[in-house]
This record gives sequence, structure tokens and C-alpha cells, in this order.
Amino acid sequence: MQRRLANFNIWTVGAVLIILMLFLPNLTIVTGFFTPSNDNWEHMKEFVLRQFVINSLILTLATAFFTILIGLSLAWLVAQYDFPFRRFLKWALILPLSIPPFIGAYTYHGILNFTGAIQTVLREGFGMELDPAYFDIMNLPGAIFIYTMFLYPYVYTITQVYLSEQSASLIESTRLLGKGPWRTFFQVVLPISRISIIAGASLVVLEVLNDYGVVKYYGIQTFTTAIFQSWFGLGDLDTSIKLAASLMGFVIVILLIEKLLRGRRQYSYFSTKVRPLQLIPLSGWKGFAAAGYGMLILSLGFFIPVIQLVDWTILTFGTIPMEEFMRYVQNSVFVAGLSAILIVAFALIVGNFARMVQGKYTKLLPKLTVLGYSIPGAVIAVAVVTAFVALDGYLAPLYLAIGLETTLVLSVSIVLLLAAYIIRFFAIGYNSIETGYDKIGTNFRDASRLLGAGPTKTFFKVDVPMMKGAIISGFILVFIDVLKEIPLTLILRPFNFDTLSTKAFQYASDEKIMEASQASLLIVGISALAIVIFYKILEKEMD
Amino acid sequence: MFVAIEDVSFSYPNTQAPALDRFTLDIKKGEVISILGRSGSGKSTILRLLAGLERPKNGRLVIQDETLFDDKTFLQPEKRGIGMVFQDYALFPHMTVGANIMFGLSDMKKADKKKRMREMLELVELEEYEKRYPHQLSGGQQQRVAIARAIAPNPHLILLDEPFSNLDAELQGKIRKDLREILKKANITSIFVTHDEKDAHILADRIVKLKDGKMDFVGRPCDMLDTFRQEAIAESEEVLKSKPVVHV
Repeated sequence: MQRRLANFNIWTVGAVLIILMLFLPNLTIVTGFFTPSNDNWEHMKEFVLRQFVINSLILTLATAFFTILIGLSLAWLVAQYDFPFRRFLKWALILPLSIPPFIGAYTYHGILNFTGAIQTVLREGFGMELDPAYFDIMNLPGAIFIYTMFLYPYVYTITQVYLSEQSASLIESTRLLGKGPWRTFFQVVLPISRISIIAGASLVVLEVLNDYGVVKYYGIQTFTTAIFQSWFGLGDLDTSIKLAASLMGFVIVILLIEKLLRGRRQYSYFSTKVRPLQLIPLSGWKGFAAAGYGMLILSLGFFIPVIQLVDWTILTFGTIPMEEFMRYVQNSVFVAGLSAILIVAFALIVGNFARMVQGKYTKLLPKLTVLGYSIPGAVIAVAVVTAFVALDGYLAPLYLAIGLETTLVLSVSIVLLLAAYIIRFFAIGYNSIETGYDKIGTNFRDASRLLGAGPTKTFFKVDVPMMKGAIISGFILVFIDVLKEIPLTLILRPFNFDTLSTKAFQYASDEKIMEASQASLLIVGISALAIVIFYKILEKEMD
Repeated sequence: MFVAIEDVSFSYPNTQAPALDRFTLDIKKGEVISILGRSGSGKSTILRLLAGLERPKNGRLVIQDETLFDDKTFLQPEKRGIGMVFQDYALFPHMTVGANIMFGLSDMKKADKKKRMREMLELVELEEYEKRYPHQLSGGQQQRVAIARAIAPNPHLILLDEPFSNLDAELQGKIRKDLREILKKANITSIFVTHDEKDAHILADRIVKLKDGKMDFVGRPCDMLDTFRQEAIAESEEVLKSKPVVHV
């Protein structure tokens, strides 16, 4: 007890409170699963649950397969060979990440449908009347295509960084041992990059399970759409909770598979000496083929949808009153900015706690907070609403005492939405902050304490200024993610509160895809800019 | 006694063997103590315990009649009045040399802080470097700033962790002498940890030798030479005995 009391200070209390706040709402899902079931749930379990599971499985597995195929092949080309446009492609291939899949989904539908660019050109330019069914993208394969085109950068970036920086001696020795490029790839590159491939692919899988926009727009039944349907269509939150719990079970299975696939090598070997791989020049048709392949993927994942969005924006400019549009921009910046600030502040407190505590179990505590990112938005939405309604229940006497007429206060306010963002995206900010703390180590903190500064002064005068880079990058990453977010914002926003992404989604759902383009283009523009800035900062740090 | 370390034991979490086992040492005011030992012998642990960066399992730590640690007390590091020079100096990279030195001078008027900082810079002969940032200094200069920063708040005791390990051999010789001069001029009690016998002999009033967390030897540098010689003889005899005879 003595030992503990001495370390007990306001920082510890704050950190523990934040961890609990991030973790507890998810527990409501687990407990909700074991409440007695009603007819809706029985019906779903009997007739449709199987289809949800099958659809979700097909989507995740197929997307994982194709993103690995594309992500790994591009990473290998960029890391190992020199060909035209290589330097440009190296960073530009990340850009598709700036297009949220639902925006890609409705853009491609717009390009391919009867009045879209392709069919119109074929019809009017070449007089070809083709069966519109050939161009139907609103189905399972179409959704897989969309996910693959906009999510492959997760696999590409992680693997490319690993291959370019970490594998030089391994690959060079393989070459010296006289192996050709194909055998090098299959016998060495594939096995050694396994960890980064799995890391990237599991991010892709979690994104697919989290997605609501694409499957909703394409009319595909998955867990996520079912959660919303039973909640809003049937008004049955209990069944939503049960579905959410099943989905969480699904996610846990995936996380376990990831762990299993990584095997005992929890952490890949990272040598501290960064030595770039000597590039092999590809000449003639081989070089053009490599450049062409990279350009094709980049066009499908970025240029084509962006050009289409620009075209639509020009066509519809002025149809949405500027004043209204600016309000969406303001709302978006407000929620994204505020949640990014809160997340970074909380991450600083929890990160500081994580490096100060000792003991096996307390060290695990901060890890709990990272779970949020693997939990799909729909599940978090259900959890947060359940928790806030309960909280309002506890606070009801207080509300009445201060003269309010309703007992639902917090659960209909913007606090609800912010809480959900914080739970979902905390891990993104925390990763960045944690890396920052790792980099500065504990010596500066110790030095400051020995010079008479207490923990609080040390935090503000020494830790925070030294972590500027980590703080900025954490903020940017969270900001973009909130900006693009769809399911949480859609369900949890206060009445009449619209952001760029909810507006884009609504216009698209109402088949006003041209009107949706302005908000979409702005989201894509901001995200792309942030990605470029982020990449440049990263590159500078590596030098 | 000015500094009293009584019966102090410590082990790092998740390890069995104690890093320090019932260690006792008294230090007089103004004395320069050198703790000598191989890596893993527990020498840095003593500094971290005195500084309050780790908490002993048991024992007692007292400086100038103030208890830093016993069964009932644990004084936080910022309350102990102990200065420390870290192995990698830990100069705050976002502050100038001047700001680094003034960081520990919190309860003073601004003008007094400046005055004290300039005195310190004079002591370590870096008067012109007040406005520079740590990365603009050489290794030896950084070390002197670290010493100035640790001494500035007038601590009871200053701890130096492997003060010469980051300097090249040529510089080491000069800085050893400078350091002894600075410490004696400031009349500060100090403990420094090293693995290099030469450092200990040149700098210390008394040497403590540590082995596996236990005290192996304590005495003046000249006493140590004798034991050292005997040890060396014993060791070489053992080597001779165990060496297999090779027939060609």
C-alpha cells in the first residue's frame, strides 16, 4: 500500500479514468448479448444471420486476397526495381486512401450506370447498345472491387517501408546466392514480409467489417447493415446489441487468427541501421510494364474517381447554397478538430501513465484502449448509446432538480458523438503519441524531476515540447479519419447536424450523386493534402 | 555523516537476483566517491535509488539529517535536492544552454537566475555559449553544460553516471582533471559511477568496488592498487593451472 500511495497522483487518476471511459461502453455489448432474446432476434438467427455471416466472410476474405495481391506486388516493384515514374508512384500509390470507400462506391456507380460516362460514350460515340447488366457494379464483386481499390494502400505502405528499409542484406545475399527474381520473391521476400502483410491485411479486414457506406449503397446485407436495420427499421435496440455482439465475436476471431498467423514472432525483426536496397533497373518493355501497372492501379484508385468528382462539381456548382455548404464544412472541422484535440490530450496522459507504471498487469491497462479501433463503428454506436442512456438514467434526478423538462440530455447531445469518435479512433492518436514517448525515452523526464520540477511541470515544459512531431501527426491522422467517418456520424449526430460526409452520403443515397460530389471532393482534397504532408514529414525524418 | 546509505536492497521488477544486496555506505561532506564495477554489477542502481528514480525494497537513505527513504517515507525526486549528470547528458534539446541551466532554479527572481546561470557557465568555462542549443555543442561541451545544470540549484549531492563514456580518449584525460577541479571548487559531495579504473584513481577520494550487487572493496585509491595486484596474481595463477598443455 505504501508503495502505491507514493505513486498515486492526479496523472494516474486521470489516466485510469480515461482508460475506463474508453473501455466500459464496450462491455455493455457483452452483457447485452446475454439478456433474454425476443422474436426479432429469433427470426434473424433462424433466417438471415447465416447470410450476413457468409456475405461478411466473402467480402473480407476476397478483399484481403486482392489487397495483398496488389499491395505486395506494388511494394515489391517499388522497393526492388527502378522504372519510369517510380519516384512519383512510390508516394502517389498511397493516395487512394484519401477516398473513403463509400465515395468511391457511388462515383464508380455513376461512371458505369446507364447515363454515366462509359455507357454514354459507347452508345453515342460507337452506337453500341450493350446489356446494362455488364456494367452493374452494385453487387458483391463490385463491393470487393471498391474495397480493393481504396484499401490496398494499407498493405502497400507497410510492406513497402519494410522491404525498402529492412530487408536489404537478406535480399542481397539471396541474389549473391544466385537466385532469380521469381525464386527470390517466393522463397525470401514473401516469407520475410509476412508480418507486414498480415498487419496491413488485418487493417483492411477491420475496415471492411466497419464499413457501412458501401454495402448500404450497393444493397448488400452484412452485419453492419443489419445492426442499423433492426435498430432504426424495427426500433429494436436489443436485437442490434445481439448482432453487434456477434460481429464483435467475428472481429475477435480475426484478431486471434492474426495472432496465430504472426506465430511466435510477435514483433518483426527491425534492424536500427536503415540501409536502402540497391535498385535493379528495368529497361525496355519491362520498365513500361511496371510503370503501366502502377499507373493503372493509381488511375483506378485515385485519378478516375477524382476526375469524375471534379466534373460533377463543375456541373452542379451553385446548386447547394454556399451558406449551407459552409455550415457542413464548419461542422466537419468542429467535430474532427475537437475529437482530434481530445484524443491527443488523452493519449498524452495515458501514454505518460504507460511509461511510468511498472508491474505486469498495470502495463496491460493502456493496451485495452487500443481495442476500440478493431471494433466496428456500428458496434461502438450501439455501445455508446446504451451507455449514455443508462448514464442519463442515473443523472435524471439531477436534471429534474435543475428544472430541465427531459431526462435525455447527454444521449441526444454532441457529447455522444464525440465520445464515440474518441473510443473508435483513440488507437490512431495513441500509436503516434506512444512512438513519440518511446523516442524521447525517460532520461529527460528524470533529469527534469531531479532539477526540482514536479510531474506536471515536467509534462508541460519537457515532454510536450519534445513531442511536437508526434502530437501533430497524431492530430492529422485522427482529423482525417473523423472527417471521412460515416456510420457513427450518421446515427449519433444531434438532430439537424450535418457534416460533409453525412451530406455526401445522403445525397448519394437519394440518387443525387452529382450533388454529393462537392462535399466528397472537399473530403478527398483535405485528406490527400494531409497524406502528402504526412508523407513528406515522414520522409524528412527518415533522412 | 553527510550521506548515509544503510542496508539498502533492490531488485528490478520481474527479476529474481537482487540488483543491490544490503548495501551500506557513509559519505563525508565534500567527498568524491567513485563506484567501480562491471556492467550489471548494480553500480548505476545505487545512483537511481539515491535520486529517487527507483524505490528500494528496504533500508534507509539519509542526507544531512533528512530521511529520503525508510519504511515510512519516500521523498519524490524533485524534493531531494540531488543533482545528476546522465550518461547521455539528457540536455533538453528544445532549450538553449542558458535555459537548460536555469531550468532547476525555480524559486528565484529572474535576475538572480541569470546571475547564477552566468556563474555556472564561468565555472565550466563556456561563457559564450549561453544562447546556443545543445546540438550545436561538442560532446565535451555538452557534458560541461550538464554538470553546470546539475550544480546550479546547489544540490547536497551530485551523481554522475559514467561521465566519460561518451567522450573520445583524448578528451577524457583533460575532462577528468577539469571535472575534479570543478567539483572541488564548488565543494560538492559527489558520487560517480564508472567501469574504468583510471577514472576512479584520478578523480576519487574513495573507491567503492561492486560485484553482483554487493560491496567488494572500499578504500582510498592507493589501497586499491594492492588488492588489485593480489587479485591479478591469483587470477593468473588460476589461468595457468587450468590451461591444458599442448603438445606439438
